[in-house]
Amino acid sequence: MGEVVVITSGKGGVGKTTTTANIGTALALEEKKVVLLDADIGLRNLDVVMGLENRIVYDLVDVVEGTCRLKQALIRDKRFKGLFLLPAAQTRDKNAVTPAQMQKLCEDLREQFDFILIDSPAGIEQGFKNAIAGADRAVVVTAPEVSAVRDADRIIGLLASNELLNPQLIVNRLRMDMVKRGDMMNIEDTIDILGIDLLGVVPDDEKIIVSSNRGEPVVMESSSLAGQAYRNIAKRLMGEEVPLIDMENEDTFIGRLRKFFSGRNKKKE
Amino acid sequence: MSEQAVVFKGTRNGLHIYLAAEPDISGILHAAEEKLQSGRPFFEGATVNLTFSGRECSKAEQGRLLELFSRYLNPGSVSFNSEPDLSPDVKEESSGIDYARIFNGLDEGMTRFIRGTVRSGQRIYYEGSIVIIGDVNPGGEVIAGGNILVLGALRGIAHAGAAGNVNAVVASYCLQPTQLRIAGFIARAPEGEAGKPPYPEVAYIRQGQLLIDPYLPGKENRKFHTEK
Repeated sequence: MGEVVVITSGKGGVGKTTTTANIGTALALEEKKVVLLDADIGLRNLDVVMGLENRIVYDLVDVVEGTCRLKQALIRDKRFKGLFLLPAAQTRDKNAVTPAQMQKLCEDLREQFDFILIDSPAGIEQGFKNAIAGADRAVVVTAPEVSAVRDADRIIGLLASNELLNPQLIVNRLRMDMVKRGDMMNIEDTIDILGIDLLGVVPDDEKIIVSSNRGEPVVMESSSLAGQAYRNIAKRLMGEEVPLIDMENEDTFIGRLRKFFSGRNKKKE
Repeated sequence: MSEQAVVFKGTRNGLHIYLAAEPDISGILHAAEEKLQSGRPFFEGATVNLTFSGRECSKAEQGRLLELFSRYLNPGSVSFNSEPDLSPDVKEESSGIDYARIFNGLDEGMTRFIRGTVRSGQRIYYEGSIVIIGDVNPGGEVIAGGNILVLGALRGIAHAGAAGNVNAVVASYCLQPTQLRIAGFIARAPEGEAGKPPYPEVAYIRQGQLLIDPYLPGKENRKFHTEK
């Protein structure tokens, strides 16, 4: 029986979709059977980030409405064994699906997969309610800024009132140089306010944008620190104990390593 | 129907529901349900005191009304006034301060305990005093007729003595509110980065000013309920 994990944040633009794509890919690299479910009906983009846009024939709404069988809508990612995407519909809106239908869908997927990762839309309305309806656990993504933390806090409250207690936190887009200057909230402050368990910290990385545009999740790049962070998060999600990356030393060893690799890539091109 | 079967009016003490004096309760129930439905996100999970007036209700009718309301919100105290009321527009807030309504049980009396953190978007309202065993986060609101104690960090909004009692206090292990209100006084956090206060503090009104002081022995020990 698989586990249904919803990835949510409240605020838009903190990296839910990127996180979903990368954790999913990392789990597949760990030989798990994973399906990524895009619950952002009407504003889908998980397919783009995964580079699977041109393979969509049927979508989530088609499955729910019985237009097609579940198997027909699942897109297999040929790069990774065991990784599938169930895309959202782009021509419909959040009201095309009900929480009960999402629950049913999750139950069906649970039989075939180890992990069902649901990419929640921003906001706290119908789309959010649909996304969390069938979930067993929740991962809250936030950026280390006051507004994102405020929204994450609200989401944690709403999750609790929907019986999704003890969500886990991912602090995304951390810039260690800014934290050091005192220009960005640090991880301790964020956890202090939200009061939930930390699943991982992902550093801000230009490569994320590049890889999203290319449709190649950043976990595929062994040189990327963000990719490493996502791989660790996937392991923690599977129950392994993995220490946090020491980002303090970024500008020494790993920083040099990154410079070395990015320099080499440039030469190649 | 010439006039509305049900009128909702929010007051400091909760929700006042004016019922039309028509004999048939089902029309009223229906109209009330529609209103509750449309205000669902607003009422959801909130504890609200209910006052019904404008129409004599039998026990059975009172039961049906309560049952309906409790599906949408948590009723606090509930009362039914049978006498036909003034129209909702004329009543309420005409005299400014209603002394009979000011909550006075500051030293002892009704207290509500909340276990867990009050998060952004959550609002706790109680007529008496409130004790939060947890934090109050930015965007969270705690409103009490009496005192407010936060056994954690207070970072949201707290309004003590909300019904007008200026002797109410707000105390917290870590007092960093976005905004602090006691009775009719409002104070906000100072501009810029104010560091975490290293000791527990209490806020109170003295001579028309909202003051914040540490309250543990050895720091500065004062009596707070002396202002009359």
